Amino acid sequence: MRVPYGWLMDYLEAEITATELAHALTMGGLEVEEVQQWTSEDGTASDQVLLTKVTANRGDLLSMIGVARHAAAVLGTSWKLPDIPWNLVAEPVSGQTLVSDGRVTIELADPAGCPRYSGLLMQGLTMRPSPQWLAHRLEAAGMRPLSHVIDCTNYVMLELGQPLHAFDYDRLRDGHIIVRRAMAGERMETLDRQERNLTAEDLLITDPAGPIALAGVMGGSSTEVGPHTTRVLMESAHFDPTSIRKTSLRLGLTSEASYRFERHVDPNGTLRAIARVTDLILATCGGEVVGKALDACAEDFSPRRILLRPRRCNAVLGTDLSADEMARCLRAIDCQVTPCPEGLQVEVPRLRWDIEREVDLIEEIIIVHGYDKLPLTVPGRLAQSGVLTRRQKQVRLVGEVLRQCGLNETLSFSVFGPGDLDRLGLPQEAPERNMLALGNPMIETQTHMRTTLLPAMLEACETNVRQRVTDVALYEINKVFLPRPAEPLPDEPLRVAGVLMGSMATSDWKSTLDRGQVAGGPQVPDFYTVKGIVQQVCDALGVTGTSFGRAHHPAFHPGRCANLLLAGQPIGVLGEATAEVQQRYDLPARVYLFELELEPLLAAACEYKPYRQLPRFPALLRDLAFVCPDDAAHDAAALETLILQSGGEYLRDVAVFDLFVNAERLGAGMKNLAYRLTFRADDRTLTDDEVDALIERIKDTVTSKTQARFRDY
Amino acid sequence: MLDEIALMQTEAEAAIAAADSEAALEELRVKYLGRNGLVRGQFQKLGSLPKEDRPAVGAALNQLAKGLEERLEARRAELAAADADRALLADAIDITLPGRSHRVGKRHPLLATLDEMVAIFLGLGFRVVEGPEVEDYYHSFTALNYPEYHPAMDEQMTFYCGPDVLLRSQTSTVQIRAMEHMEPPVRIVVPGRCYRRDTVDATHCHTFYQLEGLLVDEGVTFADLKGTLEIFAREMFGERCHVRFRPDFFPFTEPSAEVALSCTLCEGGGCRVCSNTGYLEVGGAGEVDPNVLAGVGYDTDKYTGFAFGVGVERFTMLRHGIDDIRLFYSGDMRFLGQF
Ligand SMILES: [Zn+2]
Repeated sequence: MRVPYGWLMDYLEAEITATELAHALTMGGLEVEEVQQWTSEDGTASDQVLLTKVTANRGDLLSMIGVARHAAAVLGTSWKLPDIPWNLVAEPVSGQTLVSDGRVTIELADPAGCPRYSGLLMQGLTMRPSPQWLAHRLEAAGMRPLSHVIDCTNYVMLELGQPLHAFDYDRLRDGHIIVRRAMAGERMETLDRQERNLTAEDLLITDPAGPIALAGVMGGSSTEVGPHTTRVLMESAHFDPTSIRKTSLRLGLTSEASYRFERHVDPNGTLRAIARVTDLILATCGGEVVGKALDACAEDFSPRRILLRPRRCNAVLGTDLSADEMARCLRAIDCQVTPCPEGLQVEVPRLRWDIEREVDLIEEIIIVHGYDKLPLTVPGRLAQSGVLTRRQKQVRLVGEVLRQCGLNETLSFSVFGPGDLDRLGLPQEAPERNMLALGNPMIETQTHMRTTLLPAMLEACETNVRQRVTDVALYEINKVFLPRPAEPLPDEPLRVAGVLMGSMATSDWKSTLDRGQVAGGPQVPDFYTVKGIVQQVCDALGVTGTSFGRAHHPAFHPGRCANLLLAGQPIGVLGEATAEVQQRYDLPARVYLFELELEPLLAAACEYKPYRQLPRFPALLRDLAFVCPDDAAHDAAALETLILQSGGEYLRDVAVFDLFVNAERLGAGMKNLAYRLTFRADDRTLTDDEVDALIERIKDTVTSKTQARFRDY
Repeated sequence: MLDEIALMQTEAEAAIAAADSEAALEELRVKYLGRNGLVRGQFQKLGSLPKEDRPAVGAALNQLAKGLEERLEARRAELAAADADRALLADAIDITLPGRSHRVGKRHPLLATLDEMVAIFLGLGFRVVEGPEVEDYYHSFTALNYPEYHPAMDEQMTFYCGPDVLLRSQTSTVQIRAMEHMEPPVRIVVPGRCYRRDTVDATHCHTFYQLEGLLVDEGVTFADLKGTLEIFAREMFGERCHVRFRPDFFPFTEPSAEVALSCTLCEGGGCRVCSNTGYLEVGGAGEVDPNVLAGVGYDTDKYTGFAFGVGVERFTMLRHGIDDIRLFYSGDMRFLGQF
């Protein structure tokens, strides 16, 4: 809200500059975001304007006297109301849901929505513009001066916080105001010339002919005050905040009035505001009041009584305040405080609707006392030690392993769009297309919660390439969001994904020394790099029972794609992206990707790996090579299995160390695979003869069961 | 005779010292100590000496032979060492060429900062709890004491997936989920990702990280909250950093405070980073509203608690001097490799 300093100081008794005041208000809970220098459009007036940011619970701060009252409390000074001609509203015609003086009738047909409605009739008015001082004040507060009657309603709303509405009495049927809910299908035109369709939730001000105002939100055009209006019925009412908010939200229509009503307006301020606004109108427009004010009030708005226990107050705050000190703080916000055996009996004026409970009083006490005077202590009881759970440590470990493998950690958005899955080449029936949609997305490429991290990995590559960075090695550990049948909330499992492109080394310069040694050079990742990384992750977690199986995934090269299998179940995919994917993301080199489900890996992780006895007798190493067709029946794992099966108990390890493919030397479609075999016994040193016999058995098995030929080294 | 020996020793020692190769040393060895060498020649003259002189001259000759042998050996070692030095020198390489190493990846700066924040609270006995990012209305608002149709909802700028399903706009939702599953004392922090419909620019993003804290126990006071955050501030930014509380409003805390830290760049004097206020707003905090505690079935007469939520982006940007929040989600290797 814009609070002109000069205007505010009419009500605040303090010697204080705008800047000092802004600081005091801010520290007291009414944030002043800025103190602006303001000059009127005609250049004849200037002031400083405090831009306040009012929290949603403090509707009482949305007026000049509200700010003055708060400032007085935090500064320890006093504030005052403007001159209110109380005689104008003395001895009003009062009643609960129906009041009438013959000329005006007020009927509260929905007391829950409108528990109070005050009115006053004026006649003999001449429509004029506002005097300059008033127009300037409105302008400083950010409102455009219109005609004097309207300006006065705005002025008093800004001054006292009570929204007002002026009806042209002569356009009102029978002078009869009925406050009720709209009927189905009812319509009305609001002051902004919009035709509004109403629902049974909307609270209306009506006359016997139909709606004349959208209660607390905006007046209707049918009873609008115009240049020829001479008789005005002034409305000063109290509405239920929720009702106003619902209508305002539904119609997308907010006004200065609805903004205030949503945040509660003092229900005891209706007559005061009418007196003030009538006085201002008559001073410029001439005319007179007809009869007495009317005041229909269906609810008891006497102060709320709350008991404050000083011990409880200090126990919540951690302070050592006396009951007298607490009473002083509460009186500063206009509460009546009476000591009683249990502590303090506090009467809270209704304008502070937000103070309902003892704890609310406690907050007011520390606000007035000063948050800066709060002592610094620490909680007395140390209940537990702070440690990460096993799962939390393991998730961190996965990240550490990937960083050790040379991948930087990246973060990407949890929202994406179906277009990302199109780019990945996923068909319409892909499970990843079962996504949770946002009801109110901000941009059209981010409309759903992601179901895979792969698009983010490729997009990161794309971004880097655009910056001419072609060496990319990234990983992300994050959630995907998988809708669950018959569950409102999705499953949010953790995934880990990574991408490799270009070179892996920090500095890939190569040196060839005169003795012919070559060192360094680019380490270009391939399928086996990404597979090795995945294996490192499994190994670090101590997950056993994993394997790799050939897999098909639309985003991956059909011959260079594998699933990570845990107990035979696929829990991840890895491999080389297809040329199409590479093209769609405009990437200059082959890209290797992986995405693993972290949850099953974490579940299978072992907390402490068991120690394996170090060997006591030396091993014998033998190299063995086979020439065989380069097909699935002769893949590395198939041969390895045969070797292991036929090698006997002393064969401890089989490791590929060379793959050689050369059509000229081996024949088309053939390959040479070389293995290093480790033989060891636990209780003695093996002899060459023993191992030679085993090697013969292995050779026989492999060559008899496959088309592989033994190749002598 | 003894004079002759002394003269020979002087000559031989000078020649050995001057020898500059293995071959020259060998030549000298043959000349003096060889089968027909000069020293042996002297031994042969011993017989012609008077009997009483023989022991003294013999001893002198032995002394000479042993001495020359040692000199020769020492000089040989000297020459070998010099050769080795020359060979090493010839193998010298250019040490200014760039180092070659296996690249080690880097932790994302946002998460590194979050780790550090979490570590401080682990040290204070808090444990880490996580919760869903897609939440229901109840845990997001109702249980946090947000009245229905309340203007406080406007500030949340929530992404909705349905009338009852939304993306959490604050980690406070996890307070409820945690308390639903445990009895006091509750002493937890919740690091996590939140979402708000905020247009992305250099200082705003619809995705952000928060660290939420919650402590519920007997006798937990507002002053305890301020003291705990003061410890956090000092650990993060040094001994001179302190916490400022200002009244604020959150439906789930009462009293509530906006939390600001004194700007350690200008020591409170005001600078560009703190918009000349001397303070940096970092989050919100307060005593847990009794309605929230009652909602999860806690005895509000027995237990009180405090809660706080602080942003992570601001700290990260501050400590590294990062000026554009979008870099965090760029995946840019040049950015991520720096930390
Ligand atoms: Zn500063």
